[in-house]
Amino acid sequence: MTAAGRRIPFSLRRGEAPAVYVLIAGFVGVVCLWPLARLLLEGVLPGGQVDLTPLRRVLDDPATWRAARNSLRAAACGTLLSVLIGASTALIVGLTDVRAKPVLVLCLILPLMIAPQVTALAWLQVLGPSSPLLQALGLAPPPGTRNPLYSEGGIILLFGIQHAPLVFLAIRAGLRRLPQDMVEAAHACGARRWQAVATVVLPLLAPALIAGVALAFVSAIGNFGIPALLGIPGRYTVLTTLIYQRLAGLGPSALAETASLSLVLGALAIAGLGIQGWINRGVDVRASAAMGPRPYPLGRCRLPVEILCWAIVFLVLVLPISALFATSITPTIGVRLSAATATLANYGFVLIDHAVTARAFRNSLLLAGGAATLLAIVAVPLAYFIVWRNARGLRLLAAAAECTYALPGVVLAIACILIFLNPLPLLGWSIYGTVWIILAAYLSRFLILALKPAIAGMQQSERAFEEAAVILGARMTTRLVTVVVPLVAPAAVAGGLLVFLTAFNELTVSALLWSTGAETLGVVVFSLEQSGESTYAAAVAVLTVLATIGLMLFASAFARRLPAGTLPWQA
Amino acid sequence: MSGRIGGAATALVLLSAMAVVSDAAWAQSGKITLYTSQPDKIAADTVAAFRAKHAGVEVDIFRSGTTEVMNKLQAEFTAGDPRADLLLIADAVSMEALKAAGRLLAVTDADVSAYPEAAYDRDRTYFGTKLITTGIMYNTAAKKPTSWKDLADPSAKGQIVMPSPLYSGAAAIHMGALTSDPTLGWDYYKALAQNGAVAVQGNGAVANAVRRGEKMYGVIVEFMAIDARAKGAPVDFVFPTEGVTAVTEPVAILKASKNPAAAKAFLAFLLSKEGQELAAKQGFLPAHKEVAPPAGFPKTADVKIMPMNIKAVLDQDAANKRRFNELFGG
Repeated sequence: MTAAGRRIPFSLRRGEAPAVYVLIAGFVGVVCLWPLARLLLEGVLPGGQVDLTPLRRVLDDPATWRAARNSLRAAACGTLLSVLIGASTALIVGLTDVRAKPVLVLCLILPLMIAPQVTALAWLQVLGPSSPLLQALGLAPPPGTRNPLYSEGGIILLFGIQHAPLVFLAIRAGLRRLPQDMVEAAHACGARRWQAVATVVLPLLAPALIAGVALAFVSAIGNFGIPALLGIPGRYTVLTTLIYQRLAGLGPSALAETASLSLVLGALAIAGLGIQGWINRGVDVRASAAMGPRPYPLGRCRLPVEILCWAIVFLVLVLPISALFATSITPTIGVRLSAATATLANYGFVLIDHAVTARAFRNSLLLAGGAATLLAIVAVPLAYFIVWRNARGLRLLAAAAECTYALPGVVLAIACILIFLNPLPLLGWSIYGTVWIILAAYLSRFLILALKPAIAGMQQSERAFEEAAVILGARMTTRLVTVVVPLVAPAAVAGGLLVFLTAFNELTVSALLWSTGAETLGVVVFSLEQSGESTYAAAVAVLTVLATIGLMLFASAFARRLPAGTLPWQA
Repeated sequence: MSGRIGGAATALVLLSAMAVVSDAAWAQSGKITLYTSQPDKIAADTVAAFRAKHAGVEVDIFRSGTTEVMNKLQAEFTAGDPRADLLLIADAVSMEALKAAGRLLAVTDADVSAYPEAAYDRDRTYFGTKLITTGIMYNTAAKKPTSWKDLADPSAKGQIVMPSPLYSGAAAIHMGALTSDPTLGWDYYKALAQNGAVAVQGNGAVANAVRRGEKMYGVIVEFMAIDARAKGAPVDFVFPTEGVTAVTEPVAILKASKNPAAAKAFLAFLLSKEGQELAAKQGFLPAHKEVAPPAGFPKTADVKIMPMNIKAVLDQDAANKRRFNELFGG
């Protein structure tokens, strides 16, 4: 750690900064700020006239504030739960000698791949009157009993489970940059293990933890699937569901009111960002030596700890996946599954008869892969400017990325239609109705997922390396490639992975932006679900999870060529 | 001589044939875009049947939920360049709003002779293509209901699931019709709330809850229930004695259409006897008087539809939703 909080003034060498800086600022401005600004315009300038009535109506409506309060409470409590699950598992995997770590890590990341609705549905079934588990135990509530998940508590529980992998991945990347020598120094000074963890490891992990918390919070604020499934029957409205209600309104004023409501949601997301910045202030955990601490042997406690970890995996992964799988081999919803009724016909249909599925797999793979790669690359210089160069302008721009992620997908999609329908300035052609508008929307929506881990990675990295490179006369691009990238590679890859997993089965944005030939997996599942073909939808979802596992294993095959510890599930 | 006459006749036939072909090509070529909330396969089959007759027309489909379709279209209006030629959505109320905004093309020459007057707009801007009625789906483990009021009976306590009118346009119309019925009204909705009725996001969620036996009774569009029964799920559907509410899945052509001729051909196909027979084959109640309903349905004329004033539903939408919100929370 260098002197705490001191920022070394660092003048940009003439001519070198603007090129990279302007490129990065331009990128964030176009993909994140532009859609937001266009939306804002719709809120206060509907039809080209300044008109504050929609905004005033929204602000005067008690429903707005009730929903805002619910959003805040559910997101805050859900985040707490995510941290409990995500941080404890990340610390166990990172600091102890539990066995089968790569598999465990994979299993703890994969819940991100499962659409929140699926997880919610699985839990509803597990706790409901028709639960096979409760029936076997003789604990099933009588039919007609209100499901306990239709409540604020249910939403919080599902938020906690759904977003735990975000915290897990952020801390996992942070642990990779933890200096072994400082932990050893603590032990040399006579510190016990818990003392070393409490006084050295946890403070050093602060930026990673904050990044994880911020991501979990903003994800919960912006989540629509879980409150739609649990909150509508639970009579618990949050901002995202309120916005959807306004959009479903039959009147013509929907767009202006939606835009105004989105402002409130954006304000909440940015408030979260402010608190995060306030906590982050004065935290300086830069360290030179990296490569994670040596694992503590758990001794006799190892088995119980392992059982705990796998119990968590069972709850967050095995349970929803098996419910999904069971649905996918049922001939039709409502028929009891047994050896006699089980069928693979649903897979046959989606793989052979339903041509769209294959096309959607290809599209989503390219879109999620493209967005993840691009954003992981952009995040490195962006984080570099924000953290090491303290570029305030870029920091403000990055706040826009917070909003595009928190807004309901349908609202961001509307903003994208508003700006991309007409031919692009200078270029003269329109990306509307092509796969490119979906890519643009994904870049806008998911930048924050790549950026947060990268920022945490930069905060943990020792800047002296770059100063040395400057003294040696290395230009900025050289320094970025040779110094910064190796330092933040694990964090950047963790961010890219978050983008990929989230974008691969994304629905709400592409539901408005897809077109013939540019279908996404989320749209296919949604269409099947809406047509009452839940069994086909489940088959596609199971195939999606299998494909993801396949891709992760495929990536492992190339792991040796990457900087050590880049892939989170590597030992 | 005869050869020459024969040659001339052949030429004449060829020429007139060419004239017919070119006339057809003039009317029915190029590309049209259809925005619809129909289920995927239904929309694709309909387009395929249309193209079997009009091979020259390419049809692009955008399919999504009614809310998403309307939002996309509204955003396109705002950006100043709507891309849809044709709109085929669940309910007439949204069409009425579009008509009021001057977005719809009047198709005065559409053939509506076989349609009841309630099925199409007086000014011929939108035309109902079928009847999608909302009744009661029940799990066969439960007692068969006959009336809407059976859902307010204590024996159904905690067993009712319905689509939320706050999230679904069709459900909002259902609410508008039921609450303006003198024998049901808002008292009925109050009784439902007291009986623990649960609102969910849409018809699909209602269907799954009843199929799985999580709830015994669901308020739902008929085709989903009848389809589930046909596939072997332990459910059935009843048309309640008071009548059902209905949406007409209207089709309309946008004024901004760049290919109105082809769009009109598509509209005419949907309204033709052949198009209506296809709808019946797909499991829908046709709006055409002479087309037989699909198996499992009563005759179109025998289905008792509760009266509804579209304009009134649109005007009272906000007030109705507020009352629903007070009763059911959310």
